[in-house]
Amino acid sequence: MRRLLHTIWGGLASRALPPLVIGGFLLLYIGIAFGTDETLIALMEITRTTVILVALLALLPLNHLIRLLRESASHIELRRALHGAAAGVNPELFDETVPLSPTASFAGLEERLAAEGYQTRSTGSGLAAWRGIGTFAGRICWRAATFCLFAGILISLSSRASSRGSVIEGEPLPAAAGGGKVERVVLADSQGAILSKALAMEVTPPEAGAARRVFGLYPPALYRGAFIYPRYLGIGLFVRFDAPDLPGGYQKHCILNIHPPGKEDSADITGSPYRLIFSLAQPEDGSDPYKTGRMTFLFKVHKGKDVLFAGSAPAGGEFVHDGYRISLPDARRLVITDFIRDYGVLLIWAAALLFIAAGCLWLPARVFFPRREMLFLREADTVKAFSRAEGGRSRHAGVFHDALDLIEGRHSGNP
Amino acid sequence: MVALKLIPQILSWAVIALVLLRGFPRYRTTVSAAACSGFALGAAGMLALFRFLPGELCFGLARDVVGGTFLLAWGVSVAAVYRSTGREKAMSWGERIAQTPPFAAALALASGFIAGAVCACRIPGSEGNLLACLILVLAGVALVFAALALERVLPASFTVSLPGLLVLVAALLLLGSSSIIRLDLFAPLTMKVMKFTHDFVHQFFESMLIPDHLFIRPYLWGYIGLLFGKEVGFWGGLVIWFVPALLIVLAIRLERLPQVSHIRQGAARRRVTAAAIRARGFRLVVPVLAVAVLSGAVYRSRYPSVEYWDPKPMPILASPSGEIFIPKKGEVNLEDGQLHKYLFKQGGKEARFFVLMTPEGKLTVDLDACAICKPDGYGQAEGTVICYYCKTLIPLETVGKPGGCNPVPVPFTEKDDGVHLDGLTLINTWSGTIQSTARPKEGGK
Repeated sequence: MRRLLHTIWGGLASRALPPLVIGGFLLLYIGIAFGTDETLIALMEITRTTVILVALLALLPLNHLIRLLRESASHIELRRALHGAAAGVNPELFDETVPLSPTASFAGLEERLAAEGYQTRSTGSGLAAWRGIGTFAGRICWRAATFCLFAGILISLSSRASSRGSVIEGEPLPAAAGGGKVERVVLADSQGAILSKALAMEVTPPEAGAARRVFGLYPPALYRGAFIYPRYLGIGLFVRFDAPDLPGGYQKHCILNIHPPGKEDSADITGSPYRLIFSLAQPEDGSDPYKTGRMTFLFKVHKGKDVLFAGSAPAGGEFVHDGYRISLPDARRLVITDFIRDYGVLLIWAAALLFIAAGCLWLPARVFFPRREMLFLREADTVKAFSRAEGGRSRHAGVFHDALDLIEGRHSGNP
Repeated sequence: MVALKLIPQILSWAVIALVLLRGFPRYRTTVSAAACSGFALGAAGMLALFRFLPGELCFGLARDVVGGTFLLAWGVSVAAVYRSTGREKAMSWGERIAQTPPFAAALALASGFIAGAVCACRIPGSEGNLLACLILVLAGVALVFAALALERVLPASFTVSLPGLLVLVAALLLLGSSSIIRLDLFAPLTMKVMKFTHDFVHQFFESMLIPDHLFIRPYLWGYIGLLFGKEVGFWGGLVIWFVPALLIVLAIRLERLPQVSHIRQGAARRRVTAAAIRARGFRLVVPVLAVAVLSGAVYRSRYPSVEYWDPKPMPILASPSGEIFIPKKGEVNLEDGQLHKYLFKQGGKEARFFVLMTPEGKLTVDLDACAICKPDGYGQAEGTVICYYCKTLIPLETVGKPGGCNPVPVPFTEKDDGVHLDGLTLINTWSGTIQSTARPKEGGK
């Protein structure tokens, strides 16, 4: 049992696990590609609904977490060894281990290594030497970033819940958002380098005395456990339509996806052959009617497949033609919005920050100050030399070999 | 003529045999026998398949097998890097198996089988008779013997690592298949990369809750739009294409030099290290050669020695009721198996389409555009049509079926006198297709 657990633990912590799992998903992707063109979406869907695949994907964050812990433990063990605080030295912490003659002497070694730019420390039973900073911090950030990335993907894939609704000025927030009233929707130009527009949806929560919330574009606001993700702009239009063969007329609140000007959306007149196609007119001054609030609507009236007539009317106005009447008493800004419950996103954002931090920490240390370490240790009846280098290996190896020559040379009486 | 057409495949086979023999110098006889048998089996088997199965299926099978070797090369290269960067010194069970005669024989047999099948794909149809098969097999066997003789004169210091050997064999098979347009893998790979990038960017934006292009500065969206172009498919395809060979170069370069700390003479240490570096350099020759071979395969894929039939679209009108009629026999013969392109204009809009008789004898009417790429249109080559935008080859048997980079089918009625289709439906189908494929170009998601 103990051996089995050890094997499982070794497998979970193995360097080979991520390429194997990713390779498995790659093969699955290739297999799906034979059947559909929407391969990535199909792969995501299959993964989401298949327990085995979710479990397989979960191995990735688990592997990185275990390796993060292992690397931290190894680092601490290495530091303890170099400080002379460890009872025995694990050779796996080093690149190279060389057994030396039991009578080898370290005399003069400290000065020689110091002359090569190494800092040294004599402990009771040996001598440690090192130079450079080391990439441990960068590597840990990298491991943490990879853990967060895969954990984020896993959580996102397995638990994301999304619903779409319309955020309309003066109306309650859709139920999916958890209540509250939309006071105002404001679209303005943005001076930012990335976003060209700034959108503000001002919402008053239902609780008495609660402060007004403003939802923008990015980063998306988190409101009652759901991210508010604005997708498209539109107009909420109240339409009254009278036709000669439609006694009593018809009226309807329409959600129209008609921004920017020129984009068309249709409204069916239920129970009749009529259909209205709306679009926003582009003002002559080039302004955006969504921003200014000065909206004029263009419309075409269809009856079956035929276009009966076309016309225009401003918000609050009406249009009369040949016995038909279209009036638009109320028009409001709306934002078609996704309400997304997905906490994996937070981990993926964290991963992005950690990747940047890892790069900033790792690169200078690896390029300019690579860590190089040696340890000469006298144990009960043996002497061993250990060496490791994260960079500048050739030069470090030369110094290490010289040091060994010095020790062994003294011993053989041939300095 | 057939012999000339076979030069790339047969030369590839000769080099495969040579590198197999050098890769397993202790088992020359076994490798030679297995390679000859594999080649004969592959060639004969493929020619037999062509006799009993539709061409599309046979070519598809051969292409999938070659694609499988490429995937294998990927796996081996990743494993090689894993091995080189690890601290494990003991030989793995895989490495032990790879040094046994059965493995050498199996590898030679499989390589010969695939190479023989690829060669046979060059001579299907009327030329694929028993004599052609026999000549092909004899040529293949003769080349193995030539390789055997040549291998004996190669310098002993020229050694081949197993990953290097595998990646070169895969590269040579890809080179051979890239000269046959229906076996080419690079063009479909670029198309798949383009589609993947498109889907990935879309999913990334959705998953990270990034606002749509409506809210993003046009200059920035212009840069994002670059990710949707065919150049991304080409360069991404190149990366995937070359990475296995480059990873093996890297793996050999990262191999740890032997430990010399126990040697007390500096000169002796340097000798051992220099010998290891020299041997490592020789082992680099094969994967570097694989990079060159893969470059050749890309070149053959990008510039195939095939001329495409690409007629100028003929203007056509609809009747007052909106019906387009194209007679079967008239100015053109719709049943001649060639692509016939037409241009239809109505109310300021236009649509380009073609009529083609498939090898099964069915007429099909399709847009001169697919649902994925920019509408650069199609040309016709031997047994296929090609999408000019992404260079994907569509077997003639599948033209008329929707999906992927296939031309978008248009509803039509076939009567004795010709084909009838609705002009409005044609215009709407064209507009719908162009709108969706032009979105990436315009920077939409």
